[in-house]
Amino acid sequence: MAGKFDLYLDRMTKSRLWRSIFRSGSGDSSLHRAQKIQQNVFLHILPTKVRRRMLRLDATWYLGTLTLGTFMVLVITGILLMFYYHPSVPQAYADMKDLRYVVSAGLFLRNLHRWSAQAMVALVFAHMFRVFYRGAYRPPREFNWVIGVILLLVTLLLSYTGYLLPWDQLAFWAITVGTNIAKYVPLIGPRIRFLLLGGHLVNANALLRFYVLHCVVLPLAAVLFIVVHFWRIRKDGGLYAEQSQADGRKPADTPSLKSVEESVAVAEAVEKR
Amino acid sequence: MRAPEKSRFSWRALFHDPVQLFGVASFVLLMVLAIAPLKDHFSEWRRYQKQYLQMIRNRRDAVTLMRRFQPGIHQIWIPNAGVVDRCETCHLGLQQASLGDVKTEPFGKHPPIPHQLTEFGCVVCHRGQGAATTVAGAHDSTKAPNEPLLPARYMEASCGQCHHAPLMGTPILNQGRVLLAGYGCLRCHTVKLPDGSTMTATDDPPPLTHIAEKTSREWIYAWLKNPQSWSATATMPNFLLSDAEARDISAFLIADSAPMPENGASPAPAQAVQPADLPAAQVTAGQALYGESFCASCHAMQNEAGNVVGGDLAPELTGIGSKVKPEWLKSWLSDPHVYDPGTLMPHFRWTSQQLTSLMDFLESQTNSGFTANVHLDPATPEQIAHGRQLVNEYGCAECHEIRGVSKTDNFAPDLSRIGSKPLAQIVFVAGMAHTLPAYLSAKIQHPREFGPGLRMPQYTFTPAQVDALTTALLALTDRSFTMPRQWQVALPKPSNYRPAGRAGELMADLNCQTCHRINGNGGDMAPDLSAEGSSVQRQWLYHFLKDPNTIRPTLIRRMPKFNLSNRERTILTDYIMTVYQIPQVDRDSMPESGYPPALVEQGKELFYSKYDCQSCHMVNPNTDQGYVGPVLTSVGSRLNAAWIYAWLKDPQALRPGTIDPNRNMSDADARALTAFLMAQKGSGKEANQ
Repeated sequence: MAGKFDLYLDRMTKSRLWRSIFRSGSGDSSLHRAQKIQQNVFLHILPTKVRRRMLRLDATWYLGTLTLGTFMVLVITGILLMFYYHPSVPQAYADMKDLRYVVSAGLFLRNLHRWSAQAMVALVFAHMFRVFYRGAYRPPREFNWVIGVILLLVTLLLSYTGYLLPWDQLAFWAITVGTNIAKYVPLIGPRIRFLLLGGHLVNANALLRFYVLHCVVLPLAAVLFIVVHFWRIRKDGGLYAEQSQADGRKPADTPSLKSVEESVAVAEAVEKR
Repeated sequence: MRAPEKSRFSWRALFHDPVQLFGVASFVLLMVLAIAPLKDHFSEWRRYQKQYLQMIRNRRDAVTLMRRFQPGIHQIWIPNAGVVDRCETCHLGLQQASLGDVKTEPFGKHPPIPHQLTEFGCVVCHRGQGAATTVAGAHDSTKAPNEPLLPARYMEASCGQCHHAPLMGTPILNQGRVLLAGYGCLRCHTVKLPDGSTMTATDDPPPLTHIAEKTSREWIYAWLKNPQSWSATATMPNFLLSDAEARDISAFLIADSAPMPENGASPAPAQAVQPADLPAAQVTAGQALYGESFCASCHAMQNEAGNVVGGDLAPELTGIGSKVKPEWLKSWLSDPHVYDPGTLMPHFRWTSQQLTSLMDFLESQTNSGFTANVHLDPATPEQIAHGRQLVNEYGCAECHEIRGVSKTDNFAPDLSRIGSKPLAQIVFVAGMAHTLPAYLSAKIQHPREFGPGLRMPQYTFTPAQVDALTTALLALTDRSFTMPRQWQVALPKPSNYRPAGRAGELMADLNCQTCHRINGNGGDMAPDLSAEGSSVQRQWLYHFLKDPNTIRPTLIRRMPKFNLSNRERTILTDYIMTVYQIPQVDRDSMPESGYPPALVEQGKELFYSKYDCQSCHMVNPNTDQGYVGPVLTSVGSRLNAAWIYAWLKDPQALRPGTIDPNRNMSDADARALTAFLMAQKGSGKEANQ
């Protein structure tokens, strides 16, 4: 059975159609496998080679991947939610109610979007703690750390702009408070506030601006920086692994560092609850 | 180091390689995805629809009901009104006429109302959240900006969102609006209506410009402390003043008082009024005059049995002898306009003898206990100054005219949209229900309990009045401003019509419009006079003004006798006959008499047999027994023929709302009946009165 399957697979990968799409061709040689990654537009930003050890859970806890996963969930559910949502004052809250009461699985969709957003913020922090305490931000990865910090800001802004969209009292006052804080920036504070709200009050213009920021500007920025982030992982020598020690022994996990990571993870979990 | 490794063993086994981890995660995701359709399947509204199907299955009309039943979410959608009401998803029987007997909610039929459910939806009247499909979400939500259901006892408030004039079916709302306008609420609070007009107060607080001429400082003090202890019908609320505050305000009002324009004398020294020793015969004559002049149409007074009897248009007169000074009473009865140019009281032209006996009667009505325990030292300038400050703080000038104190706009919060006040903006007192009706009701009953420094006075309303006021306030919603314009049933345009010229002066002096409505302005105690000139004969009107009598057999109350001079009667009659005509009736188009006897006889036949007029009217008082409509024994000398003819053809066209039925008479019938009625000239005595 397995042999037959392999036969079909082999025939398929050797077909002209397959070759026209995947130009690297078949073959298990290192070169072929490296080419598969390198010549694929989606995969080429990843390193061509990864240490097997780095794919284990305890190497990274998959924090970066999970963050990407929540981002994907958010994009998909977000697009679906956009089918039901009008960023207008009379309609926005009514759309929430429709999602809650009449759209099939609308509540599930909304909850998935909301909880994924919460999870993404938590995961971004966990990821950064992990990177920080492992010292993975050090040269040559210092630029990628900066990209990571930008991605943190984009994540937080996405979370904040999404808060206004339900257009309920919680949203209204949260944005009122938030933009009032922005007002205290020296000199340009009031201008920032005006720019954010499109006026002096949280109203129709603010709703529209936050909607556009949340659904277009910030997601595009996030995608852009995620691409750069991944590409830099490859350029900076792959995932950070502790260097082998001079005497040739495998690097040991440092107990003290590990316990620090765990306590941070626990603290994050508690905070999330 | 080794121990923690071991404890994590099983966890690691589950996720030991990425492929297995992917598998586990996929399984979890699948389970989570299954929850959504399951939750949808077991939703509340599906359960109700199953129950409904079970209920109708055993009914005789099951086939019809089953055919009408549509599974799924139902909604009434009115885009231009923002109505999306899904109530009928569970309330399945609302529009099923045959389910009138069903008492189990939510399947009953809606009680009959003058509107279609699909015309306005549910939430416009009942409030609550129409978009929700769960009971809790639709009915009880108190999370701002969500409104919960309106309790059924305040239901009439919803009618008031569109209907701004009184309705037959909304007695509670109507009463609430009357109270709102009649108890001074609108003098401090502004209420704007969706059509841009403002609700106006209908009470008539007296000016305090010459108060020292009218009464004593002691009386003012006792009144300020508790107006209701003087008369339970007093509309002035209790400001819960301290002794010192009442002392200082009374001091200021006396000091601020100006002499009356005519007598010019300085105010008499403040002292309690002493009832004079009055001759009993005079008092009886005065009491008779009090009755004949129909003072009780407006004023109430306690009778011997202890009941307060009379109208509520003017102050109660029980104990009046202890309230006002004799000189003031004389001046007031002689001409009330001297003291208060804006008064609603007519200027009766009593003879000096009548005046004396009426005064004696009124002064015999005493209540000396009211000021018995009030002893005030002469006012100091500090007290007067403090009194002025208090008068400003408590907003006395919002109602009363007070020299040197002006009325301020927006003295109290605007109530135009109080019925939609968000709960988040309300400060509740501990222990009360957190709902808007409960707040309004408590605020009306105990306004000062909502915090220190509040100045709203204490009213003494009955529970029914509180509910009526709450209903009237709950009608003032945001929705009434935002709903489609064509839903609004506006108030009839307010009129400030006043007659002009010499007759106008005379009618202002007599305050005709206190009782009569003319061209949309005036009271509703007496007939509308807008078409009087088209309906009556000149001679009759001239005599009526001299000696008014009632034209309805069941009515004892009639117009008071004003002792008008012949010249005054001529002026009034000329003006009314010339000005108050309507285009529908040309009074000269038919003669007053000279109809052929055959026609009169035919009219009589029609009167008694075909149209059965004697069921309500009397032509021959010896045989007819109609007590509903006006007596017609002398209608031929009272009304003119053209009016009678037009009236018979279509009564409602001449007086909208009259109960005289439109019998769709042919021209010939109406003509014959007119001839018959015009022949009813009454006895010569009646006609020449």
